[in-house]
Amino acid sequence: MQRKSKAVLLPSVLLATSLVVSACGGSNDAGSSSAPASGGSSAPASSGASSGAASNGKELQLTLAFIGLGNMKEVGLVQDEISKITKAKINATVKLMPIDIGAWTQQVNLLLAGNEPVDLLVTSSFFNYSSQVAKGQLLPLDDLLAKNAPTVKDAMEPAIYNSTKINGKMYGVPSVRDTAADHGIAARKDLMDKYNLSFDNVKTYADLDPIFKTIKDNEPGVYPLVQRSQTNGIANELVRGYTDYLGDTPGVLIIENQDLKLVDLYETQMYKDALQQARKWYQAGYIMPDAATTQEGNNSLIKAGKGFSYLSNMKPGFATQESTVNGREMVTASFVPPISTSDSGTGFMISIPKNTQDADRAAQLLNLLYTDKDIANLLANGIEGKHYVDAGNGQIKSPEGGSNYVFNQWEVGNNALTKVWQGMDTDLWAQTKAFNKNSTFSKALGFSFDSSPVKTEVAAVINVNNQYKAGLESGTIDPSKLDEFVKKLKAAGLDKIIAEKQKQLDAWAKANNIQ
Amino acid sequence: MTRTGWASTFKKLKRYRALFLMMVPGLAYLFMNNYLPMFGVIIAFKDINYAKGILGSDWIGFKNFEYLFMTKDALVITRNTILYNGSFIVLNTVFAIGVAILLNEVRSKFAARLYQSVILLPFLISMVIVGYLVLSMLSAESGYLNLNLLPMLGIEPISWYFEPKYWPYILTIVQLWKGTGYLCVIFLAAIIGIDNEYYEAATIDGAGKWHQIRSITVPLIAPTITIMTLLAIGRIFYSDFGLFYQVPLNSGPLQPVTDVIDTYVYRGLMTLGDIGMSSAAGLYQSLVGFVLVLLSNYIVAKRSKENALF
Repeated sequence: MQRKSKAVLLPSVLLATSLVVSACGGSNDAGSSSAPASGGSSAPASSGASSGAASNGKELQLTLAFIGLGNMKEVGLVQDEISKITKAKINATVKLMPIDIGAWTQQVNLLLAGNEPVDLLVTSSFFNYSSQVAKGQLLPLDDLLAKNAPTVKDAMEPAIYNSTKINGKMYGVPSVRDTAADHGIAARKDLMDKYNLSFDNVKTYADLDPIFKTIKDNEPGVYPLVQRSQTNGIANELVRGYTDYLGDTPGVLIIENQDLKLVDLYETQMYKDALQQARKWYQAGYIMPDAATTQEGNNSLIKAGKGFSYLSNMKPGFATQESTVNGREMVTASFVPPISTSDSGTGFMISIPKNTQDADRAAQLLNLLYTDKDIANLLANGIEGKHYVDAGNGQIKSPEGGSNYVFNQWEVGNNALTKVWQGMDTDLWAQTKAFNKNSTFSKALGFSFDSSPVKTEVAAVINVNNQYKAGLESGTIDPSKLDEFVKKLKAAGLDKIIAEKQKQLDAWAKANNIQ
Repeated sequence: MTRTGWASTFKKLKRYRALFLMMVPGLAYLFMNNYLPMFGVIIAFKDINYAKGILGSDWIGFKNFEYLFMTKDALVITRNTILYNGSFIVLNTVFAIGVAILLNEVRSKFAARLYQSVILLPFLISMVIVGYLVLSMLSAESGYLNLNLLPMLGIEPISWYFEPKYWPYILTIVQLWKGTGYLCVIFLAAIIGIDNEYYEAATIDGAGKWHQIRSITVPLIAPTITIMTLLAIGRIFYSDFGLFYQVPLNSGPLQPVTDVIDTYVYRGLMTLGDIGMSSAAGLYQSLVGFVLVLLSNYIVAKRSKENALF
């Protein structure tokens, strides 16, 4: 590595210089919106680099930690390319730190608990956003953004942008992506075609039975339905399209009710039915027996030819995206129309952790992620000519023989700036915008629950969840155990959590004038 | 202290100064490694806020301990920890002594060395690998038991990782398989040290093998047994994390029988990220462990003063 980096030093300096010159010269397109942020560098083009550098003092290496998906083998190359741009604009190089999703919660806890420098971090209400804020691990962003990234808010729906606030302060900026989601199934096209199957007559999840049966009977060794992860059980997928989970604690809203009255999901008829459905599929042999303990995710199972389909939340262009990730062509069908939930904004955000070396510089990098087309493309798709090639029509495709950087991200920055893959509609981002806008919005969009007043109960509930959820929702355990599960949840303080959540929700609704 | 007392202390210091000097690095290490971090005990009583730092965070009394005792968790993990480790101590000792005596009787030098190595081998394997060895036995559909053994006996396949009732036995067997070898080597060394004349005399007096073992071998290695057992009891509250976390593949339904204090604390810190609560559990572990060591030492001291640790 050392030798290599020396060898590329000279050319990279040359390239960086030329990039700076060209970026500053033609800064009317991508670079322009980011120019004000790079330290007031509306300076003349020729001195652009040096003035940005001067206002930012000494050079820093900013670390961006995010969830590593797909193939990240050549992340180092992408990092070098991005660093060339950021070096010129904000006098900082970038260290990309992909962390495997399976290890995400643990690694981030360790990162934040220790003193390792992390300057930008992907945060999510699925991964303890509220408790990270409660523990003071993330910095409030309002002032930092106003100063360093004033145009970021224009990149998304205002309701989404404002939805990350906790106690009136922002701690994360949502990524520009599909903030709404519809729900359905993704399945392998080769097998669908082989047995002449189609989703045309499938209107609900229950209608999937005959398709699963065909696969089960004719393709030994292929599981008709696999789970996306241990904790993303089948039953969970079945109810998610109809509910707003309001973060990672008990107490949910039913979207179609359009109200602010929390219910205990585990005691709803819908959840009971979902468990029955999952159990039925499990007993029919459609779900793998060790679904609840396996460490293998859906993508690797499909890739290895051991799985046929999985349930998922979806978005425009989902089939193409999944085909790339799985290395097999996929077809999708949606059964539940799109919804935007309270965490549509908070689902994936960029935050600045307490551990940052320089909050202002981190905010400047954040700004670049939302406004610089080149950086957005590098991060999402890799290096042109190496990780993707031009497919004409403004679209891109995989290079011959695949590549070692396949990210397909949705979690970082402004994805609407990225090039569209071949197979997707060229107006994908326009479609996505409309999809987001036309979804059914949860009444509680933007509400974040602060669990610290009931953290004792939350800790106890997590332990009960660990014990039952994966087994029940994968159909591995008989649904008759649900009563026991609910009883233990109650003993652990479930009702107290829901009461506290309702209290906060009511206060939030009152403060925001929501009926 | 009297004058002469001081004088003799000073004399001793002077006389053994080289030895005392040698003690310094060890003490310094012990102090830095084992005593300085005790400052962190206060974390268990604080509402840790990273912005405020450890000292600046608010005191919240015993609130961090509440979640342990709110459900039956504290009871279950304490029970599991003590019962498992207690039975491990007994079984390991019995098995190790048995195997050591058998090994001692093997006349062929080569065979004895071979057996010894084979028995020791599992001790050297990482628990993560052991976890997957067990999986290869118990996996729902490709495991040896479900695929070959149970059908042969006409028994329906069992979802091993979802049936808590089997796990006390599975864990015990795995731990025996892994842990016996090490202890066995220690006992074997003690047995080899016994003077052969005892046995010759016993043989002449007409004592059988069984009699010799009971009246010569076991009493003569009793000090070794006591020390090893006391050391083990001292650590009875520290479970083999790998055994209880890796081997059951962290399967939820097994938690009532596989959750011990270490795994509980680990899960707490990892999924919740709450240092305060985890410290509380850790402190609880240390306290009960401390009491247990005092108690067992007291019992040993009552029976024979020489064998007690202090």
